[in-house]
Amino acid sequence: MSDFNEEESSGRRKFIRVTTIGISAACGIFPLAAGIPALLDPVKKNSGESAKVPWSKVAPFASLPEDGSPAKFEVVQETVVDAWTTYKDIPVGAVYLTRKQDEVIAFNLKCPHLGCAIDFRKQTNDYFCPCHNSSFALDGSVTTENSPSPRPMDTMETKVEKGQVWIRFQQFRPNIEEKIPLS
Amino acid sequence: MKMIFDWLDDRSGYRTLLHEVLYEKVPGGARWRYVWGSCLTFAFFTQVVTGTLLWMFYSPSAQTAWESVYFLQYQVWGGWFLRGVHHYMAQAMIVLLVLHLMQVVIDGAYRAPRELNFWFGALMMGVTLALSLTGYLLPWDQKGYWATAVATNLMAEVPLIGPAIQQVVVGGVEYGHHTLTRFFALHAGVLPAMLVGLVVVHIYLFRKHGIHVKEPRPKKDSYFWPDQILKDAIACLAVLLAVVALTVYFHGAPLGPPADPANEFPARPEWYFLFLFQLLKYVPAFWGAVIIPVFLALWIFLQPFIGSTRPGHQLNIGFWWTLIAGSVALTLLAFSEDSANLRHSAALEEADWQAERVLSIVQEEGIPPAGAVTLLRKDHENRGRNLFAANCASCHRYNGHDGRGYPLDDAQSAPELAGFASVEWITKLLNHEHYISEEYFGGTKFKNGTMARKVLAKYTAEEIALLPRIATLLSDMAELPYQPPLSEDEREELLALFYNDDLVFQDGLACIDCHDIDSEEEGYAPDLTGYGSDEWTIAFLENPEDERFYGDENDRMPCYGRDGKLTDEEIKIISDWIRSRPSE
Repeated sequence: MSDFNEEESSGRRKFIRVTTIGISAACGIFPLAAGIPALLDPVKKNSGESAKVPWSKVAPFASLPEDGSPAKFEVVQETVVDAWTTYKDIPVGAVYLTRKQDEVIAFNLKCPHLGCAIDFRKQTNDYFCPCHNSSFALDGSVTTENSPSPRPMDTMETKVEKGQVWIRFQQFRPNIEEKIPLS
Repeated sequence: MKMIFDWLDDRSGYRTLLHEVLYEKVPGGARWRYVWGSCLTFAFFTQVVTGTLLWMFYSPSAQTAWESVYFLQYQVWGGWFLRGVHHYMAQAMIVLLVLHLMQVVIDGAYRAPRELNFWFGALMMGVTLALSLTGYLLPWDQKGYWATAVATNLMAEVPLIGPAIQQVVVGGVEYGHHTLTRFFALHAGVLPAMLVGLVVVHIYLFRKHGIHVKEPRPKKDSYFWPDQILKDAIACLAVLLAVVALTVYFHGAPLGPPADPANEFPARPEWYFLFLFQLLKYVPAFWGAVIIPVFLALWIFLQPFIGSTRPGHQLNIGFWWTLIAGSVALTLLAFSEDSANLRHSAALEEADWQAERVLSIVQEEGIPPAGAVTLLRKDHENRGRNLFAANCASCHRYNGHDGRGYPLDDAQSAPELAGFASVEWITKLLNHEHYISEEYFGGTKFKNGTMARKVLAKYTAEEIALLPRIATLLSDMAELPYQPPLSEDEREELLALFYNDDLVFQDGLACIDCHDIDSEEEGYAPDLTGYGSDEWTIAFLENPEDERFYGDENDRMPCYGRDGKLTDEEIKIISDWIRSRPSE
């Protein structure tokens, strides 16, 4: 008889322990769990298809040197949304533009290695990143053999309309061989 | 696994510590009345964790506070839930504080040797209330802005150093960036750190003296683990479920329109401070800011000594019950006075309207760097209502109110303008009874004018039947955005009626005998060419005394443009707004 009671009592105690731990754990995890979706919101927003990259007007075609040497321009985007703020007509980055007959080639100013700003060197007529010494030819290709940059300079889509150069300005994921736009 | 724990225990001695924590003796067995302290600790823990998460989204400045909260509430996945839990847990904390306090008072747990812990508890209550107060401002919406202004003005009541304290807390003389950065530093840094420190001391002292047992003991002694912890955990779960239920039911915490010092809002604190708010209607601010808090602090300090005798203990219990009953009564009074006040309800509705309005503008055009409040300030819809309320509503009405929904004390003395120039509105205007009623010209000299006496009063039933059609023709000239224009055929048909010499007007008068319509003559009564159109309305608002309108016959209608009372832009906004929608 007493054995039975003891068994029942130990069963009851076990139930109490499990229930207590269960409820306490639920209460303990809850505050963090309540914020997990919000915390992961940026990842969720990135996983969808990226919005279409808008065209931005950069400069008059006539302002590009005729000999094909590059010139640096600021890219001003009509609408830029940063979290809650909507900016109108603000600079979002810079590009080197080069004339090639009637067309224009655009290189992002940022080095594909780790995102430093690339210089154009007049003396050697090439591009050079002063951070980690990557150098690029005028067509954007990597010139040094052991260049830190894993890929050529990043080009972007351009068009010339009514004498104005337009560009679809984008940033790309740094330090990988493939050129993948950041959305 | 056991090896790792053994290793850890060798180095830290955690098993002894854990044993000490869990096997605290609970004399008389586990009881529900002991759960409040644990619930408060849980609530505070929740606030620390959810608050830290909110920190990742919040940006304290006058141009970004409301905006970042808006973004969290409406754009971030689950943001409303996170914010809601923090908001409602803060309110639950206040309720739990009162329950904990009353349990301590009734059980006599504040008496020797636990005086020190009672005082620490009172300090923690003060810090918690300060957390509530500082948190209320952070969304930088109208409610928080105006209520906190009152609270900080109370600080200035403290003798000598009051104004200095106020300036330090507000970060200057005016509310702005530094008010937010300071309140945020207090809310997320200073006060929580103080509370953590106080909690540690409070729990240490509690453990030192053990649970104060309420006699008689219902059961034999047991331990904190697992009996009391189970009860504590269930109570915490109940608090959690209540908070989740409130969050889901109200879809998170409210967010009013962005703070605007130029846009009045009836300041009310959060419900648990309403009793103080109400009290300040009867006593000078100095009482609320200084005398009452000092008296309370003094009572709390003396309470353990007062309670050392049985009658003293009874007095303490009576004191707190009276305080609670008084607070509840004052709170109810505050609620009932507000709900009976039509202006107050109108102000709340107006704030709701502005909150919705700003959301819809934000969805359309985003928030500029200057902040969301600028969207409302330049919004023609919002300005139209406000311009009407400020300039027109002392005589006119709009759906019976001032354009924003506020009731008006003064009698109406000029026409109701909701649905101005619509078919329905003109039809009513041509009705004699309506024309001479207060809703139209009853409060003006035109009540006894030619139109009323010689025209409208004398219409026969046959003529009255024609009025809606005349109204239709007239209203078409207004080109109201919500009314479809007449087709050519409809127009021709109505015009034929209008210019028909056989039209039976008993006195032989037709409209065009006094009013000009599409003619160059200057008739005696207002020119009705393009009546109610954008051009007509603007010209009328600019100068009703022009020969085209009332001329010398004008009765008190101000010449807003001619006399420079309103700018051209403002007149255009009023005209657009009046003509934008039908009456309700």
